[in-house]
Amino acid sequence: MLEIARYEAERRLKGTTALAVGLGILALFFIAFFPSFADVDMDSYIEAFPPAFREAFGIEALASIEGFLAVEIYQFIWLLLLGLYVAYVAAGTIAEDVERDRMDLLLSLPVSRTRVLTEKFAALLVPIVVLNVVVPVAVYAGVLAIGESIDPVDLAMVHLLSIPYLLACASIGLLLSTVVDRADVAKRIAIAAVFVLFLIDSVAASAEGLEWVANVSPTAYYDPTAILVEGSYDLTGAVVLLAATAALVLVSQFQFRRSDIGA
Amino acid sequence: MAPIEVTDLTKAYGDVLGVDSLSVTVEEGEIFGFLGPNGAGKTTTIRVLLGLLAPTSGSATVLGADVTDEAALIEAKRRIGYLPADLGFDEEATGERVLKYFASIRGDSRREELLELFTPPLERKIREYSTGNLQMLGLIQAFMHDPDLVIMDEPTAGLDPLKQEGFNEFIRAERDRGTTIFFSSHVLSEVRRVCDRVGILRDGHLVALEDVETLLDRGGKRVRVQVAGDGTGLGELEGAKTVQTMGEEHQFTYTGEYDALLRHLAGYEVVDVEISEPPLEDVFMHYYGGTGDEEETVAANTDTDAPPVNDTTEVTDA
Repeated sequence: MLEIARYEAERRLKGTTALAVGLGILALFFIAFFPSFADVDMDSYIEAFPPAFREAFGIEALASIEGFLAVEIYQFIWLLLLGLYVAYVAAGTIAEDVERDRMDLLLSLPVSRTRVLTEKFAALLVPIVVLNVVVPVAVYAGVLAIGESIDPVDLAMVHLLSIPYLLACASIGLLLSTVVDRADVAKRIAIAAVFVLFLIDSVAASAEGLEWVANVSPTAYYDPTAILVEGSYDLTGAVVLLAATAALVLVSQFQFRRSDIGA
Repeated sequence: MAPIEVTDLTKAYGDVLGVDSLSVTVEEGEIFGFLGPNGAGKTTTIRVLLGLLAPTSGSATVLGADVTDEAALIEAKRRIGYLPADLGFDEEATGERVLKYFASIRGDSRREELLELFTPPLERKIREYSTGNLQMLGLIQAFMHDPDLVIMDEPTAGLDPLKQEGFNEFIRAERDRGTTIFFSSHVLSEVRRVCDRVGILRDGHLVALEDVETLLDRGGKRVRVQVAGDGTGLGELEGAKTVQTMGEEHQFTYTGEYDALLRHLAGYEVVDVEISEPPLEDVFMHYYGGTGDEEETVAANTDTDAPPVNDTTEVTDA
């Protein structure tokens, strides 16, 4: 068991390492800027953003290190960019193998389609987990280095709770990978889908009477600003995201099992 | 139970029939050539056998497992090897890594033995492999778990004649140790030397199931003669069909005895003579000529006649 996951995970390791180093450095770079922010009148700076923009990027308290990190790193990089990234990568998992004839050989081995799909999806935990282990260490060290402090539990939680969120984004990509024949198209749709969901959450939250629409977006169930600034953890949200992931993986399995490969 | 049993198999892609009520049985321990021009439905059939495509109607079993029963088919796949026409290996991995991966799922009891016969550069990334190296890696993975049945899709396409002879020797040896081999090809000359039986597929259905000798006897030989001087009457010979004359060169398909042909030719001043196996489409033409599909056949003929691969057979027997 798990031979496919192990192989796929190994394939992902190199790219993941590069990404972890890159994001760690980027985070340190942002943090290094924080002291020079301290002189700015943050409240009026925040007021200057349009409400929808404030909502989209959770801009609440830029003046504190927690608020600053929440906006610059977590709302932007984690929620938006990483969400897009994992959806993009997941959208390639099945479709690319089918397109490049790799699936033919893989399915000539004594493995079920369900197992292939599930283990390939599980291998996406490699980038998701590695980034969430490496980057917080860099962030914590960076914060201490500039003479600030941050609650390590809140920092750990902002990463831990991002895992269900990123899995949900990945499962959107996975489903597209089983539905769309061409890998390129699947990946592009995955990026568009996650971005649109991100926007829906931002826009609907400020639209009178339409707040409920925001609930379709995974971003509604993971709020890094609330975790870092207020120390409140949306555990129900995490459960919702995990349930949605499981549901999307099941639908993907169903779809993959019944499809003709390379027809 | 026969290793492969296909009964009334139909696979439709929308309105197009990839395979049309095909029935064929492959017996244990034989090398079966699945012959047909490109687009005849060979690959479709193979993909159904591997469970990659679901049959539209009819049934198929491999090693007794119904191809639509995933659990049974998975069990059977432990004893099946597959060499696809397009080898989709992970280009970024080394040959070594891929073999290790496949071995972890399906075993590799014969790996070392096969690596003595085939020598792809295992330590290199597959991206750097030549066609020949890819093919060798493909053969190793298809045979290394000591399968009872090996299915190969156009395994010799792209192999030079020398390698092809090596390949033939290899699969004969595999057959002799009891492995059933099913492979597709569109080149008759390639199949006739190694197969015990052939099935000919055309437009999605089986048009003939023969042992190779019968097929060749009935398919005849292609005779090309160049004579000096008057060649009148050269094509007027019992067993000669579709005589074409271009200047001094005469070409026809001959299904009679060699002696009669040679006696006949002796009456002319022969400058050059070549007796070879006909291209597959010619076999169809003479085997099934006048079935109403002739136009189509002729069109396909010019198509498959183009690559020299059909003509590589040496001057045989004569």
